[in-house]
Amino acid sequence: MDFAAVFDVSAAGMDFERMRLEATAANLANAQTSGTAFQPLRAIAASALPDSFDLRLAAALPRPLGAAIVPGNAAPRMVLDPGHPDADSRGFVAYPDVSPVSEMVRLVEIGRAYEANVRALGMARSMALKALEIGNER
Amino acid sequence: MNVAPIDASLVAPGAVSASSVSGNANADFSAWLGEQVRVTNQDIVSADDAVRRLAVGDPVNLHQVMVQLERARLQLELVVQVRNKLVDAYQDLLKMQI
Repeated sequence: MDFAAVFDVSAAGMDFERMRLEATAANLANAQTSGTAFQPLRAIAASALPDSFDLRLAAALPRPLGAAIVPGNAAPRMVLDPGHPDADSRGFVAYPDVSPVSEMVRLVEIGRAYEANVRALGMARSMALKALEIGNER
Repeated sequence: MNVAPIDASLVAPGAVSASSVSGNANADFSAWLGEQVRVTNQDIVSADDAVRRLAVGDPVNLHQVMVQLERARLQLELVVQVRNKLVDAYQDLLKMQI
């Protein structure tokens, strides 16, 4: 059925939003991790072009493809805390450059975008069900 | 789905042998219906499998399971509606006064 194409696209969008949520959750969870081992994560979707070969082959709608969670390369946030075990020779501790405010904003954005994908899928579903009602007397 | 229109030769019998026309369309439609029933069964089985994997704690996305359930439901609804229309048509024919 052709409505399955809309389902697939919306599901791909939901997959990507979920991946962004995972990256944001990891950032928030590791905001207080000292050291430079953790870099703030960012989910990247390589949007497949509408005329790419794969999509031509499947005659499908463009969707976020090849989504990946990649670490950023922001400079660490240095906090003066000489008593900390991880402090360097000058007494500074390195924390990942995670801004709780912008992560919260991203969280809201992710929630709304997921909701929008669910809404699009629900609309496709109810349109299909309405179409199946054509010709019913009641 | 290809539903052949009513042939004029069927309305005025004797012009063309009716069996050749209706026989062909009949085979087409029953093949289509059989295929749809097979697809529906497959959809339901895969949705069932997704729900089972979710229940035993496999890392499946919740929305993928729901999408699969909805797909199975729509496919089933399509087949049910076609069946309803077939039965209606059959009842109409049965009640026809000759």
